[in-house]
Amino acid sequence: MSVKILTVDDSKTVRIIVKKAFKSFDCEVLEAQNGVEGLAMAAKVNPDIILLDITMPVMDGVEMLTKLKSDPALKTIPVIMLTAEAGRENVMKIAKIGVRDYIVKPFKEDVLCDKVSRVIDLRPAGESEPQQKKIDDPIDILVVEDKPAIIDQIKKGFEHTPWNVFGVSSTGEAIDFCQKKVPDCILMSLSLPEDAAITLFRIVRSNAKTKYVPLFGLSVKTASEEQHRAQQAGFSTIITKPIDFPELENKIGKAVNLDTSGKYFGLEEDYMTVKLPNVCNAAVVNEVSNYLKTKTGEAVDAGISNVVFDAQEVQSLDMEVIKLLLHSMKLCRDLSLNYALAGNATVIEDSKKFEESKDWVFCDSVEAARESI
Amino acid sequence: MQQTFPISDQELEALAVNSVSSVFNTMLESEAHLRETIKIDEEALEKGVNLPINTSQILLAGTVGFIGGLTGIIYIFMDLPLAMKTTCKLLGLEADEVEEEGHETVNDAIGELTNMIVGTFKNDLSNKGYECRMTIPSILRGSNYTIEPAEAALRRIFKFDCEGSSFVLDILIKEED
Repeated sequence: MSVKILTVDDSKTVRIIVKKAFKSFDCEVLEAQNGVEGLAMAAKVNPDIILLDITMPVMDGVEMLTKLKSDPALKTIPVIMLTAEAGRENVMKIAKIGVRDYIVKPFKEDVLCDKVSRVIDLRPAGESEPQQKKIDDPIDILVVEDKPAIIDQIKKGFEHTPWNVFGVSSTGEAIDFCQKKVPDCILMSLSLPEDAAITLFRIVRSNAKTKYVPLFGLSVKTASEEQHRAQQAGFSTIITKPIDFPELENKIGKAVNLDTSGKYFGLEEDYMTVKLPNVCNAAVVNEVSNYLKTKTGEAVDAGISNVVFDAQEVQSLDMEVIKLLLHSMKLCRDLSLNYALAGNATVIEDSKKFEESKDWVFCDSVEAARESI
Repeated sequence: MQQTFPISDQELEALAVNSVSSVFNTMLESEAHLRETIKIDEEALEKGVNLPINTSQILLAGTVGFIGGLTGIIYIFMDLPLAMKTTCKLLGLEADEVEEEGHETVNDAIGELTNMIVGTFKNDLSNKGYECRMTIPSILRGSNYTIEPAEAALRRIFKFDCEGSSFVLDILIKEED
């Protein structure tokens, strides 16, 4: 739901500039020309924030603010003064009545948006219903690292993906980059000099455009003190070096909310494959389970009635994978879908060890499995 | 009266330049350069002064006053093409869009620009210990302006160049008893 911003200013110019400033955010900007109109509008629409001028005809900003703060229904609405009036006395007088911030004209639109976003949850326009990116869509990853070898390593590690990896070596370069282009994810070395990672973290989080960009800390496994400080500063995810790329890829996918179903599910003309990767850990099993119902539903809607579970690359068959396959096969039966299994020698051997899977029949290729249905 | 004025000419010029530059840089992303400073003596003040800009053409005059430790009024005179260019930049609109909106939009934009310039000027005065309050901006359209202050005041006129045009900042200021 978009937020409501009420601008109270006798100048149409300022109201237009405010509207322009918030154009790229998911918000509705409402206008009032003086304190009387401002109070009436506030009572009517209950805005999330008010931007208030001081010098206005009919009722000035100080009077409106005083009345607003004495009205139980309106007093909690945060107010930012946006005025050409500064000076110690003025600011002190207004601060006593209760304002969240004070912006002196002339002002940069970015500053206005940043200050407002510190008070209310301001999201970029369209983000309320984001177009979910798929695993094979290009996403932009910014790596802030003063060691070029690590940047190269990350670029190489994601070579098999369509992801764009951009490397910068300082916080200044990172800020410049984010101003030009908001990345989908930021990886930041925690060992940058002078706690630069924590400074950058705060800057990124306080900027309206970047506040929701997933941010991972990069740290040597043994550097527990810097990891602890980073966690205290607010880093929720820390990737340890040497980097486990499948794990990092997985974490980025989740943080960016990528639709990763393409890694496992393939729809052909008359059948669907569910391909399990070589490392089939709990995270993978969970991911496949989450997509299973939706993807089988899509297959049914597409007129597909055959499903091949491809476990040819799986290194070993454990109980987690068996449970996943049992659940998948039940779902197929419920939806009247035909299915078959494809697996390698190890998988076949492993399947014999469990009561639940000892009778399963595996084919040695997807084609053979398809033929067998 | 002018001899005892508490702010020197140098300081006043610095205040004028800072307020204009600050607003032009921040709001318009453009530069305005001081080209000429005209000191008006008491005799000339009474007679009225010709502005260093072609006043036979239509000019927009934005006005904002300030009252307090120092009391005064500041006028900004600008020709219509520069006023239009400034309005477009300030609002992020094309000239035809501004024209569609009518005179009122340009008037309001120049009024607000004046308000910001005088606000910055007034805030700098406050920082020097002269607390003042501002009046609501007003705007005039016309030609052949002559300003004759009712009371003796210090008057300085500053001509600025901006993007091939010129505009004038006319400051009248006096110390309250």
